[in-house]
Amino acid sequence: MHKTKILLAGLSLLALTSAASAVDVRISGWGGAEVALVNGLITDVLAEDLKAADINVVYEPVDGDFSQFITNALSAGTAPDLFYTDIFWSRAAFGTGKVEPTTADTSPFAPNLIDAFTYDGKVMALPKDFNTLALQYNKDIFDDAGVAYPTDDETWATLQDKLVAIHAKLPDVNGLCVVPDYARFAAFALGSGWEPFNAEGKTVLDDNFKRAFAWYTGLVPAGAAVAAADVGEGWTGGCFTKELTAVAVEGAWIIGGIRDGAPNLNWGTARIPKDPESGQAGNLIFTVGWTVNADSAVKDAAQKVAELLTSEKAQQWVLEQGLALPSRSALVDNPWLQGDTPEQTVNRVVFAGLSDGNVEPFFFGDLGGAWMEPINTALNSVLTGEADVDTALAAAQAKFDGMAAQKQ
Amino acid sequence: MNQRQRDHVVGYLFVLPFLISLGTFFLYAAVRTLIFSFTDYNLFNTPAFIGLNNYVAMLRDSMFTLALSNTLAFSLIVTVSQTILALLLAVMVNGVIKARGFWRTVFYLPSIMSSAAMTLIFLWLFQRQGLMTELVQFVVNARWYIAAFLAIFLAIQLTLVFNARRRYDGVSLADPVFATVALLVAIVATYLLRLSALLPVYDEQFLISWLNTQARVLFLPQTLWSVALMNVFTTVPTLMLLFLAGLQSIPVALYEAAELDGAGRVRQFLYVTVPSLTPVTFAVVTLGIIGTLQMFDQVAILGDAAPLQSRITLAFYIYANAFPEGAASRIGMSSAAAILLGVLTLIIVYLQRALGISDKVDR
Amino acid sequence: MTDTTLTTAMPAAALRQRLPPEALRRRQFFALGWTYLVIIGVATVMLGTFLVAFVASLKVDPLERPFRIAFDQVNPIAWVAAADLGRQGAGDPWWGGFAPGGKVTFSATYTAAPGTEIVPPEASVPRRRPGSGVAAALTKYYAIDYALLTQTSTSDGEMSVTDPATGASEIWPTRAFTYEIAFDPAKAEGGPWIERTPLDLSAPTSQQLVASTLNPTRFERRGRVASWDNITPGALGLVFNNYRRVITETADLQTGNSLFAGWMWNSLLIAVGRVAMTLVVASLAGYALARLKFHGAALIFGLVLFSMTIPAQVTFISNYLIFRDLGLLNTPWAVITVLVVGSHVLLMKQFFETFPKEIEEAAMVDGASRLGILLRIVLPNAMPAVIVNAIMAFQAAWNDFFWPLVLITSPPSALTVQVGLLSLRRSYGGAQGDWGLVLAGAFVSIIPVLVLFILFQRYIVSNQVSEGVK
Repeated sequence: MHKTKILLAGLSLLALTSAASAVDVRISGWGGAEVALVNGLITDVLAEDLKAADINVVYEPVDGDFSQFITNALSAGTAPDLFYTDIFWSRAAFGTGKVEPTTADTSPFAPNLIDAFTYDGKVMALPKDFNTLALQYNKDIFDDAGVAYPTDDETWATLQDKLVAIHAKLPDVNGLCVVPDYARFAAFALGSGWEPFNAEGKTVLDDNFKRAFAWYTGLVPAGAAVAAADVGEGWTGGCFTKELTAVAVEGAWIIGGIRDGAPNLNWGTARIPKDPESGQAGNLIFTVGWTVNADSAVKDAAQKVAELLTSEKAQQWVLEQGLALPSRSALVDNPWLQGDTPEQTVNRVVFAGLSDGNVEPFFFGDLGGAWMEPINTALNSVLTGEADVDTALAAAQAKFDGMAAQKQ
Repeated sequence: MNQRQRDHVVGYLFVLPFLISLGTFFLYAAVRTLIFSFTDYNLFNTPAFIGLNNYVAMLRDSMFTLALSNTLAFSLIVTVSQTILALLLAVMVNGVIKARGFWRTVFYLPSIMSSAAMTLIFLWLFQRQGLMTELVQFVVNARWYIAAFLAIFLAIQLTLVFNARRRYDGVSLADPVFATVALLVAIVATYLLRLSALLPVYDEQFLISWLNTQARVLFLPQTLWSVALMNVFTTVPTLMLLFLAGLQSIPVALYEAAELDGAGRVRQFLYVTVPSLTPVTFAVVTLGIIGTLQMFDQVAILGDAAPLQSRITLAFYIYANAFPEGAASRIGMSSAAAILLGVLTLIIVYLQRALGISDKVDR
Repeated sequence: MTDTTLTTAMPAAALRQRLPPEALRRRQFFALGWTYLVIIGVATVMLGTFLVAFVASLKVDPLERPFRIAFDQVNPIAWVAAADLGRQGAGDPWWGGFAPGGKVTFSATYTAAPGTEIVPPEASVPRRRPGSGVAAALTKYYAIDYALLTQTSTSDGEMSVTDPATGASEIWPTRAFTYEIAFDPAKAEGGPWIERTPLDLSAPTSQQLVASTLNPTRFERRGRVASWDNITPGALGLVFNNYRRVITETADLQTGNSLFAGWMWNSLLIAVGRVAMTLVVASLAGYALARLKFHGAALIFGLVLFSMTIPAQVTFISNYLIFRDLGLLNTPWAVITVLVVGSHVLLMKQFFETFPKEIEEAAMVDGASRLGILLRIVLPNAMPAVIVNAIMAFQAAWNDFFWPLVLITSPPSALTVQVGLLSLRRSYGGAQGDWGLVLAGAFVSIIPVLVLFILFQRYIVSNQVSEGVK
């Protein structure tokens, strides 16, 4: 009796101390479909591992421009212990000096993703997933128009023919929603053989670029596409889920949009079409990593959480939710990817996009997003009919030359 | 200590909290901003003095010149239009004897909304396929009937007026009795025309980019014209109240004297009302200038609904350089632009004061 | 004078008289009428815009084209149907739902061209997450796990269909399918209340849906699938769905509390704090400038005017850094204490100057201190000015966008409602295109200021304010 009391007291004391010693790690990322994923990881998949490591994760997703939020937070000293870094603006974050290099073993991760997050020779973020672009198509629209589905061997010309045929047969449907955004146009610009930075590190919009630019903006007058703004949408996926277009150019993230807007959609995925002249397709690698805040009071715990969130178990689970592909090389030949559901197909194609053709990471060094501005403006001017191709490209080239001059 | 000396001490004590607030958050802040404009601070490093580099880079930045021209054009257009509209509205409400308070309240209601809520509503309204476009579409499609209506109205009104002028004196062109008759006849006539379907009706579908466009109309981007429309909507009521108060303090004797001199409504307005309202007009214009030069909220909320060069203003340029999206902070540039904005505001306010609209009423 | 000049100048015309008095009176009357017309027109435009926006905020898709004025949310028949369905589902006709013991009867009528067979549609209760954000993470119970769907009956009928091209009308057969969606009795023990019961009816393109208990939320797969997001909404749940969503779908993951409600609370705290601080500081400073003579009063007055001219953007970096170094960033205190606006000081000064001096002088003779005079004599009689100042300060603080944007950015639960609206617009008002949520958020954020305005409008809109601002 006496002994059990002591035992109980001892046990409860132990429980108290272990509860008291549980460390709070604040993590943050952006909103949208991610939220359910990360929350599922923390409360479900990794719950036991976190409890065993005595870590309590507080997840605070942020809507809006995340890079602005992080810069502000890092300067204010209120940044979370662990946060997303998009490769796109990673330089701005790493350059603040408030980011701690990762202590995890980076060998199981895909090398080009690790390279993307290397700054000053150190790996500053642990890549959690990646995405590339693919061509999604609406099977019902193709069926109703009597046009064959896009295959993995489409070229720009054959795709344009198919889209024109669809629009001719079903006038209320367009082929594609064209957006003035380099983040999608690059799939074609890079396919033409153009490189964003030439040997001297300058951006030159050569004839290859012009060919891709003319084809992309020419889709609208050809009747194969419509400008997304013209139907009130901001991304190709928006038009696709509203069944206004037959195809879309998006990555695996489109699964979230379809789940919300068109849960019954009958769709498939094919590879980005190739440039008939160069015979290649282009693609961008989008990747996001978990970064540890150097000012954090619980750095070790944060590193541990980062490792858990990118562990094989976590990445397999995320893969099966279908929204993004694992950054670990070992999960590449995953049986899940071979399935036939639309989610599995798009992920399979997105994965193939990693090594198919002229692929560049979505990353512009120190210039950040500002580098895309001239191209986006040029696309917008031609799509809204405010300028023709040559004028727009000349203006864009002038801006790139200005940027290069400023850097010196 | 006598009362006077006590008053001195108490005076300073009473004013102290406000002075602390003013001193820290205004004077000290202004001086610090000036200092930062000569450094390369980016929120994380220790600032190093780099002389006038920021100002030079700023003047070379095409975004800056765009922001400056947008801000100046926006300020001019909005200030002028909101002053005139506020005055007209005040005159109208002043002419109503009964329930003036009710109309004042009704007109004032839109301006209590926050700029964020207002901008969201207007964002929805000005979507490419939104309600505004539908309205314009309706008007354009029905243009023949609208033209017919106006033509019939004008024809009847002018006939009646000139007919009356042959016999009577002092019949104004906008005679209200004849106008009512003309209105009723025009409505009936247009309705009959519609029934008989004599004029064509169109069924075109439009898409107007109110916001997402790089087009410029008269030195101001089309996007900012839409924002100006929204701005005028919310600021006119407050300014109307100022004019109303001013109108009610104009002695009636002035109007009676003008009437005896044979002045019509329009002349009374131009030669009695407007000069008497000079101090109020000055206040309204000053408020307008100060408010429009600081335009920030709407630009931030518009976000990616419009290309940056079509919506950027100086205030937003300052903010965007301090917290850029996806790049390192440029506090130096931001401060340089901020100093420029402050100096610009001061110059314009004191310029308009010196140029003509004096404080005192000219009698 | 006028008459003779005219008669000599225009001998051809007959003598022109002035208008008779009753004609003049008539004109005055009609002129007044036209003034009223114009004023009513302007008022309609100004208020009408917001009324239309409010109506749009109730819609499922505010951006639909053409803009329908008649839709489910404003149709009383639909309200009754929704209330009935809500009652069947969970016994709650207001907010509906699906709970143990629920048995919902739902019917859908299809029509097809004569001679085509009308096949029963594939009916299912799908697994549908409410939006892809936080709500998806927090939803634990899905109707699919607790609902049993059976088709109970069919009935045949006819309808007349007019061919738009030829104008001829035909009789087409219709078939109504009635379904029963019941809460699984096996799981009824301690079963949860489920907010939404989605339904999908999938039929070949040869037949069309013409009527149903509630109109579908959307048609998918080019008309093959009719999809309902919630067949047990309840009357309020149907009409104010967007409002319900804006409060529940922006939720804090840790606590599950509504973020939007939290934002409103933050805004309230900050507004009250600012009002208190402004009143204290402005009253003291205004009284000093009005009554007390001390060196530098004119200079301070000039400084106040100067500070009102300079925009906030000029000083914001330094103020941001001050609060950062004090560690007060992301707390309400930062926004409360940042610069007291000079206009309040001027307002109070203006009012105190018009206050009769005799009363104060009498009190001073009796030996009261300046502070005592201010607190006990002047302020109690200055209620109108104080109220006006308080309301304007509250309005300005509630509507303030710039300072909270700069000073309070994280965590998301600490934002004020205006910055929260920006966050809402970014997540829902752009690519996602869920404008109903955005508009609903905008209108909810107006409510406190609107209430205050309606209660105190005679103070706000009065002449005193205008005099003061001048």
